[in-house]
Amino acid sequence: MCMVVLIHMDASLLIIQPTASDPIYRQIVDQLRRLIASGQLVSGETLPSVREVAGFHAINPMTVSRAYGLAESEGLLERLRGKGMVVAARRGGGDSEAERLRLLEPALLDLSRKAQELELAAAPVLERLQQLLGTP
Amino acid sequence: MTAIVEAHAAYAMQALDLSQAYAGHTVLDRLKLIVEPGQVLGLVGRNGAGKSTLLRLLLGLTQPQTGQAWVFGDPALKLSDAVKQRISYVPQQPDAMAWLSAGQLMDFVGRFYPRWDAAYAQDTLQRWNIDTNKLMAKLSPGERQRVDLVRALASQPELLVLDEPAAALDPVARRELLREIALRAGEAGTTVVFSTHIVSDLERVASHIAFLHQGRLLLHCPVDDTKERYARLWLPPRFASVIGEIPALSHRRHADGSSSLVIECDEDQHWHQAVTLEGARLDVLGLEDLFVEIAE
Repeated sequence: MCMVVLIHMDASLLIIQPTASDPIYRQIVDQLRRLIASGQLVSGETLPSVREVAGFHAINPMTVSRAYGLAESEGLLERLRGKGMVVAARRGGGDSEAERLRLLEPALLDLSRKAQELELAAAPVLERLQQLLGTP
Repeated sequence: MTAIVEAHAAYAMQALDLSQAYAGHTVLDRLKLIVEPGQVLGLVGRNGAGKSTLLRLLLGLTQPQTGQAWVFGDPALKLSDAVKQRISYVPQQPDAMAWLSAGQLMDFVGRFYPRWDAAYAQDTLQRWNIDTNKLMAKLSPGERQRVDLVRALASQPELLVLDEPAAALDPVARRELLREIALRAGEAGTTVVFSTHIVSDLERVASHIAFLHQGRLLLHCPVDDTKERYARLWLPPRFASVIGEIPALSHRRHADGSSSLVIECDEDQHWHQAVTLEGARLDVLGLEDLFVEIAE
């Protein structure tokens, strides 16, 4: 394994919404978790530096450091000397369907609460959701 | 008092018991504040809450009626030249040297700053659409504030104090300013204190937030913590009699008898037991909603 292909994630892949009710550092960790679970970020892929993310999104670098630190302690990322942050090894080719579905749980709970507030039955909601997801 | 006087050298800014009143109206009420080096403090508050007054008092440009402020350990009212060189302040309406062009102004003031970045000044004036040949007197108030922002940034200060910097900038230039603030804080350890009414700007770049309301600073904490530390508790009408017993930053009674309270969780992330009352609802709020909830 002396040939290493460097894949470098771009800072623009992250979406930052300052006004959302989740703090920015959590938004970053949640997105990394999803991107890694889906296999869009693969093991060994380098993350953009703290400076790149902070500069691109005009956010405080400490917020990015905190997010990376948290993702590291969760085992999503690891710090490689001379390379910075990379996607941790064991996370390789994406998580099982059950694990990925678990990450969707907060959004599903939110959706179901809103559907109930609107007194919508399940069928039309599911139908629309199916349209959005495209037919399998 | 001597113990306090010895404690402040490590802080970029410190204020103790600052009070100010105009025509019998209290603007600042025994306000305390500490800004540590490298912090980016975003100061928010309603119009007329006293944000500009507070910044001026912190820098020693106005004498407080009570209390004292320090900058890098110097009493704000008697700053040494050495400390003055480390600070840049951009007021909302800068005093311009009207007889100079923006270009001449930069050449002139640049000589007074040991770390002046002339190339940065020139590039940024161009990007921010300032005609460097035009006399300052002929520029609009917004353009004059932009020139002053460029002056402040090009001097590479250790402490940057900005009063409503967003007002003079279009969204593109504003984003660029935020990027400068964020990166300088992260790399050069620049301390930044800025007032704004654009809460999303604050959420992007500030490390800390302070909400100036009725002369006091509320919600003074790291920005990341705000959304996890404060929330709105909604209680149905039948609990109207107990809301006075719940410690809260604000109590609001709605027309239907229900109530909204902004409450703070304790250090172990536990909320007041009232959140378990039947029918109670706890909502996490964005910063802007939090301010509105408290200020209304």
